Amino acid sequence: MTPPTLSVRDLRVGSPFAELLHGISFDVAAGERVGLIGESGSGKSLTATSVMGLLPETLTATGTVRLNGVDANLLTAPERSLNQLRGNTLAMVFQEPMTALNPLMRVGAQVAEIMTVHHTEPGRRQAWERAVTLLAQVKLSNPRAAAQAFPHQLSGGQRQRVMLAMAMANNPQLLLCDEPTTALDVTVQAEVLKLLANLVADRSTALLLITHDIAVVAEVCQRVLVMYQGNIVEDGPVARVLTAPQHAHTQKLIAASDLSAVDARGRLHTRSRPVIVTPITPAVDSAQRTIEADATAAPILPHRAAHQHLERGGPPVIFNAVAGAPAIRVRALSRQYRRRGGGGLFAPAPVVHGLRDVSFDVAEGQRLGIVGESGSGKSTLMRILCALDRPSSGTVDVLGQPIGTASERQLRDFRSQVQIVFQDPMGSLDPRMKVRDIVAEPLHNVNRAEVRARVEAQLSAVGLDADVMGRHPHQFSGGQRQRISIARALISRPRILVADEAVSALDVSVRAQVLNLLADLVDEYQLTLVFVSHDLGVIRHLCDTVAVISDGRIVEGGPTADVLDHPLHPYTRQLVGAMPSMHQLARRVSN
Amino acid sequence: MVLVVLRRIGLFAATVVVASIVTFLMLSILPGNAARIALGVQATEADVAAQTKAMGLDRPAVVRYLDWFGHVLVGDFGTSTVSRRAIGPEITDALGITVILVLTSVVLALLFAVPFGILSAVRQRKPDGAILSGISQIGVAVPGFLAGMLLVTVFAVTLRWLPAGGWVDPGDDLGGFLQHLILPAIALGSVQGAVLSRYVRSSVLEVTREDFIRTARAKGLGVGRALFRHGLRNAAVPVMTVLGLQIASLLVGAVVIERVFSLPGLGSLLLDKVALRDLPAVQGIVLVLVVFVLLLNFLVDLAFTVIDPRLRSAS
Repeated sequence: MTPPTLSVRDLRVGSPFAELLHGISFDVAAGERVGLIGESGSGKSLTATSVMGLLPETLTATGTVRLNGVDANLLTAPERSLNQLRGNTLAMVFQEPMTALNPLMRVGAQVAEIMTVHHTEPGRRQAWERAVTLLAQVKLSNPRAAAQAFPHQLSGGQRQRVMLAMAMANNPQLLLCDEPTTALDVTVQAEVLKLLANLVADRSTALLLITHDIAVVAEVCQRVLVMYQGNIVEDGPVARVLTAPQHAHTQKLIAASDLSAVDARGRLHTRSRPVIVTPITPAVDSAQRTIEADATAAPILPHRAAHQHLERGGPPVIFNAVAGAPAIRVRALSRQYRRRGGGGLFAPAPVVHGLRDVSFDVAEGQRLGIVGESGSGKSTLMRILCALDRPSSGTVDVLGQPIGTASERQLRDFRSQVQIVFQDPMGSLDPRMKVRDIVAEPLHNVNRAEVRARVEAQLSAVGLDADVMGRHPHQFSGGQRQRISIARALISRPRILVADEAVSALDVSVRAQVLNLLADLVDEYQLTLVFVSHDLGVIRHLCDTVAVISDGRIVEGGPTADVLDHPLHPYTRQLVGAMPSMHQLARRVSN
Repeated sequence: MVLVVLRRIGLFAATVVVASIVTFLMLSILPGNAARIALGVQATEADVAAQTKAMGLDRPAVVRYLDWFGHVLVGDFGTSTVSRRAIGPEITDALGITVILVLTSVVLALLFAVPFGILSAVRQRKPDGAILSGISQIGVAVPGFLAGMLLVTVFAVTLRWLPAGGWVDPGDDLGGFLQHLILPAIALGSVQGAVLSRYVRSSVLEVTREDFIRTARAKGLGVGRALFRHGLRNAAVPVMTVLGLQIASLLVGAVVIERVFSLPGLGSLLLDKVALRDLPAVQGIVLVLVVFVLLLNFLVDLAFTVIDPRLRSAS
């Protein structure tokens, strides 16, 4: 039997204050693709950086890390010999494609460097030519131009392809990938994962893929390791772990990832629960459903009608048109920007279209999801709905008040009626304010005792104790901060709640809790919800209506189940296709 | 790229014009009549009226400004009201000395700050790094004129190695020129160098935490090589910003240092002319100083464009 490519035994990593990895052991066989999943702080990245020997100076590692064909224990090997291994025998791709490349160096030179450093090409010119070939292999169109480009001229997906080209340049035995697609849009993610799987398969490179996303593991890996609080708690074939997880934490992780599984009240499972049963029936079932739906549903569904209008180039479509007085009425909304300093010396700056001719309604009490990828215009739309930005043309009426042209004074009442929860739970709370003051900030003309009572009541409504009031934001976890944001948003008793990617930065189990909380509160306060997200699963779970935005236009809209089960627009199809459900995953990996 | 440079040149020219207007206005709203000042306290009203006419002060401000700035553009700064001689040549001579002094001290400051800052960043956690960092902290705290006087006391008065002041033209005697230049340049550059080394240190520290340095390490580059090949150019960007901001304070420092070492530079000239209340000369010198600062900032901006490709495409 050939020895494993990577063998880790009793790996412990500690800071001067605490042990962070508690003696983990695992092997990766030659050519094997292994996923490493777990929530933030579970020690996934520490494991990979220990293997690479790139731990921060303040941390120390003990145990053994061995590579096939290398005598030394990598943890104790001298820096010089590690430098010869890194980038040559073992390579790594990092999470943030935006910052992982040197902004001042041409992409081709950065790829070529890894070959000149290890002398795998005889000279600079040959290394550059190989770099161009590699860029072609990672499917960059026009690789010669890409090699000449600087990183800022490439998109996130393109940069991650460059990172892959770099990592694979010297045909490493082992490739470590740390959340390689987390920062990418879903459709781009699907392409990059496919590319990754092909690259390692072609070269029979062993892969250790770190991710928090079970779907990513199911897509690429054969075996999966589950980490929890610095330990590996489960290790097995992907199909088995996904369909029959043994450890309670794995069960919880999978339950929370499954946005289609809900309890009797329509809430997500946040605790471990009986394993998902491998669905044998749905395979037949969904095929049948499609046929039935196609036969019966064609012209009746409103989103189909709207879509047909759109396709024929007819008059602008009003999505989700509501009779009477809707909570939000948007008509022919457009927003253009002038790109700063974009034009010539005297030529006007080019116009960038944020939104083009968008029209839709949101009925009182409706839950509208807005889906789109980065740059699609969904954040612009959200900002305009909250009167944080103004339309270039068109009208926006919220609760009967036109807000496109209103002055800040006129908007005072509006501001208490419409509240927002932002994406980043770290950045959206003032670090110098106490929780009490953050939550109380939207309240005006209320006396001290009542403020205190209301803040307390609101915090308990979002599941936080009253004794957190005197603390500062940095003392809370991401999920708790998002609860604080929600409490702040709801204290002025708004009628409309706008959430911008409110759960995207959270771990799956926390995400499930926050989604449940939002659903409860929306019911309890009878809120109208506008939920902006790139995640179809979240939208499908939380929203009854959905609008799909692409390139500044709504391309499709209607009842959520209808749109997502029978997408008409090619873009929606692409989105839906890129986001498999848990059941599809389980089915796919068990085949 | 060419477009960006052209735009910067246009911006520079526009700033110079605005600066000239501000300079002109500031000196013309000063209390007192320039003609009376030129004639002294014993002048009669008739003399003052005649002088006013002779100096063209009876014309509207706009005409006076255009007349003055038009002549300045061709190098004519007018005549001194005190010495009755052309101001231009005086300014040019003094400017040469100040430029040499300032540029030498910038070079010295960089020669000190860059290796010193990098070293104290790389050795951050070691005792010698802390010592280096402490030295630069002291440097920041010592004002330039004090450094100058200390240098004079040690090297000129006690050791008698170098002259305590004065100026020798490089064309006359290169050795003497260097001997006279070295102490004032060190005095002026040491403070800037100390400040700059703090920024080099923090900038290098910042860069070593960047993801792309981690990428470089993952490619198999050692710590030093990763920093040298990928870090330094990135670290240079914020340091250049600070350098640009320091140039103005460097000129202020030059005014003081020229006094300490009795160098006949622009700073000394300015103080002399202020004392003599020679307004046309003061106006000319201030404008030259302002344009000098703007020019150096313009060059720093251009250097940015060379270093950072993100600034080349105009967005």
